[in-house]
Amino acid sequence: MPLIRKPTDRPAPKKTESDDLLKGLADPDPDQRWVAAREAAQVVGGAAALAMALPTENDPRVREAMFTALARIGTPETAAAVISLLRSDAANLRTGALDTLRLMVSRMHDLLPKLLKDQDVDVRILSCELGRSLPSPEATSLMCAVLDNDIDANVCAAAVDVLAEVGGTEALPSLRACALRFPATPFLAFAIKAAVDRLAS
Amino acid sequence: MAKRKLARTVLVIDDASLVRLYYRSTLEAARFKVEEAMNGIEALEKLLEKPVDLLIVDVNMPQMDGFTFLGLLRQKDTAIASIPALITSTESGQKDFEAGRAAGANYYLVKPISPETLIEFASLLCGLRL
Amino acid sequence: MQAVADYPALTEDEFRRLCEYLYRQSGMIFTEAKRYYVERRVNERMAATGSQTFASYFARLRINAEEENEHFVNALTVNETYFYREEHQLTCLTTDLLAERVRDKRAGDAIRIWSVPCSTGEEPFSVAIWLLENWPWVDNYEIEIVGSDIDTRVLEHARQGVFGKRSLMRLSSDLVEKYFSPMADEKWRILGELLNSVQFSTANIVESSETRGFGRFDVIFCRNVLIYFDDASRRVAAENLYENLLPGGFICLGHTESMSRISPLFEVRQFPDAIVYQRPPASPTRG
Repeated sequence: MPLIRKPTDRPAPKKTESDDLLKGLADPDPDQRWVAAREAAQVVGGAAALAMALPTENDPRVREAMFTALARIGTPETAAAVISLLRSDAANLRTGALDTLRLMVSRMHDLLPKLLKDQDVDVRILSCELGRSLPSPEATSLMCAVLDNDIDANVCAAAVDVLAEVGGTEALPSLRACALRFPATPFLAFAIKAAVDRLAS
Repeated sequence: MAKRKLARTVLVIDDASLVRLYYRSTLEAARFKVEEAMNGIEALEKLLEKPVDLLIVDVNMPQMDGFTFLGLLRQKDTAIASIPALITSTESGQKDFEAGRAAGANYYLVKPISPETLIEFASLLCGLRL
Repeated sequence: MQAVADYPALTEDEFRRLCEYLYRQSGMIFTEAKRYYVERRVNERMAATGSQTFASYFARLRINAEEENEHFVNALTVNETYFYREEHQLTCLTTDLLAERVRDKRAGDAIRIWSVPCSTGEEPFSVAIWLLENWPWVDNYEIEIVGSDIDTRVLEHARQGVFGKRSLMRLSSDLVEKYFSPMADEKWRILGELLNSVQFSTANIVESSETRGFGRFDVIFCRNVLIYFDDASRRVAAENLYENLLPGGFICLGHTESMSRISPLFEVRQFPDAIVYQRPPASPTRG
C-alpha cells in the first residue's frame, strides 16, 4: 500500500541545550557533529548555531544534516540565514542553500518574489529554480515577471526553463517579448523557441 | 591519412532541461553523440556504466555541485577519473576559474555559450581537429 | 470511456517532459528504453481520469488533482510483492555485497539485513531463502534479518507466513517444496525455522526516534517507498537510513530509483548485477 508523507511538522524545541549543541557542532569528530546537527532542529537557538557553524563545516555529510535541520526549523530567520549562504563563493554552500530553500519556498509566500528582485545576478538565477516548487499559476506569473523585467540574459534563461516545465499558454506573450529584448543571445533564442513550441502545442 | 573521425560521446551535466537540449542540438549537429545527466550523482552513475569522451558540467546543480562532482570523479582510481571536463557557469570571477582548475576541470566557459564556442572547445578537448 | 489502446503515442518532447517531471517528483528514472512501459501506464491513467489529451493529463499530474501523482507512481511501480522480486539485487547481495562486508568480520560475527518496508514479508523471507540456497558461508555468521513496515496489518500477515500462488510464482517448485508446506485453498506456509529467522516490527523511516532503535545494518533494502515521499521527507528518511548503516554498509533502492534526487550522503557503487549505495567505510586515520 503506497504511503504518502506530508512535510514533517516543526518539532517542539527543547530548552537550555543550546550550549551542548554549540559544543557538538564544533566537535572534532564528524560523527559527533552529524549527531548534533540532526538534533539541532529541536533545540532553542538551533538555527543561529547552525547558521554560524555551516560556513566552516568541511564534512559534506555534516553540512547536509545542518541544511536539513535548518529546513525543518523553517522560520523566516532561518530563511534569511540560508539566503546568506546562497551568496557564498563556495559552490557547495550555494547548492546546499538552494536545496534547502526549495523545501521552504512553498511555505513562505514572499520568499521567492523577494529573491527574484535581489541585486545579485547569481541569486536571481538560482532563485528562478525555486519556481518549480510552487503551484503552476504562481510560478508562471513570477517567471513571466522576470522575463518582462530582468536585464540579465542568464536570469531570463533560467525563468524560461522553469516555464517550459510548468507554464501554460498564458506565458507565451512574455516569452515572445523576451526574445525581442535579447536578440544577440543564441542560447536564449533557442530556449525561448523550444519553450514556445512546447507550450503552444 | 584517414580523415574519418570517430564519433565522440559527450556527457552533458546540467539541471536545466533546455540547456541540455541546446547542447545536444548543437553537438549532434557537429556529429557528437550526447548523453545527459541532471546532476553530479546521476552523472557518476552513468559514467560507472559507460565512460564518455568529454564531460560538460555546470557548476550550480541540486544535490551536488559541479566542482564537488569533478573532485570526486578525479579521485576515482579507474579510467573515468581522467575524462576531460569543461566546466560551465554564470560566474566569471577569478575565484571560480581557480575553483574549476582546483577541481580538475580542463577548461571553464561562461554562460551563455554560443554554438561556435561550444563546438570549438568540445572538439579541442576531444582531441579533434576543427 | 476511451479504450486504453486508442490514445496516440507520446511525442519525443512529451515523453522527455514527463520523465523529467517524474524524476523531480519521485526520483524515478525512466529512459527511452522504457518508453513503451511508461506510455502504457500513461494511457491507463488517461483513461481512468477521462483525460482526452496528454496535455490535459499532464496538467492534472502537475497540480496533483485527486492524488494523481500517487496513482501514477503506483501504476509505474508494479506494486505487487512476490518472492525473488528483483532477483538481480539478491545476486548482487551474495556475489558482491556480503563478500565485502565479511572482509572485516570473523566467523560467528553478526550480519544484519533490514528490509523496510517489508510489506507482507516476501522480501525478507526471500533474502533468507536466497542466502540458504546461494551463500556458501551462511552458517559461518550470525545472520539477523529484520522486516519493518509502517502498516501493522501487513506485518500481521507477514508474521503468519502464509502465501498464495502469485506470491510464489518466481520460485521453482523445488524451492516451494523445500521451504513451504501446502495448506488448503492454494496457500503455502513458510517453514517454522524460516518464520523464526525474520524479526518483524513497525517502523516509520521518516521518524528518527523510531528508526534509531534498530541499530546498524550491513545491508538495507528500501525499495519503492521513497518515491512516494515529498522532498523534505525523502531527505530526512535518507539521513535516518544512513544512520542505520554500518560504515561500509549498503542500501539498495528499487531499480528505477536513484539517490541522485534524494541525497548526496551515499557513495554510488556499481556491481555487475545492480547499482547500490554505500555509507562510506570508516576512514583509516580515525582511531
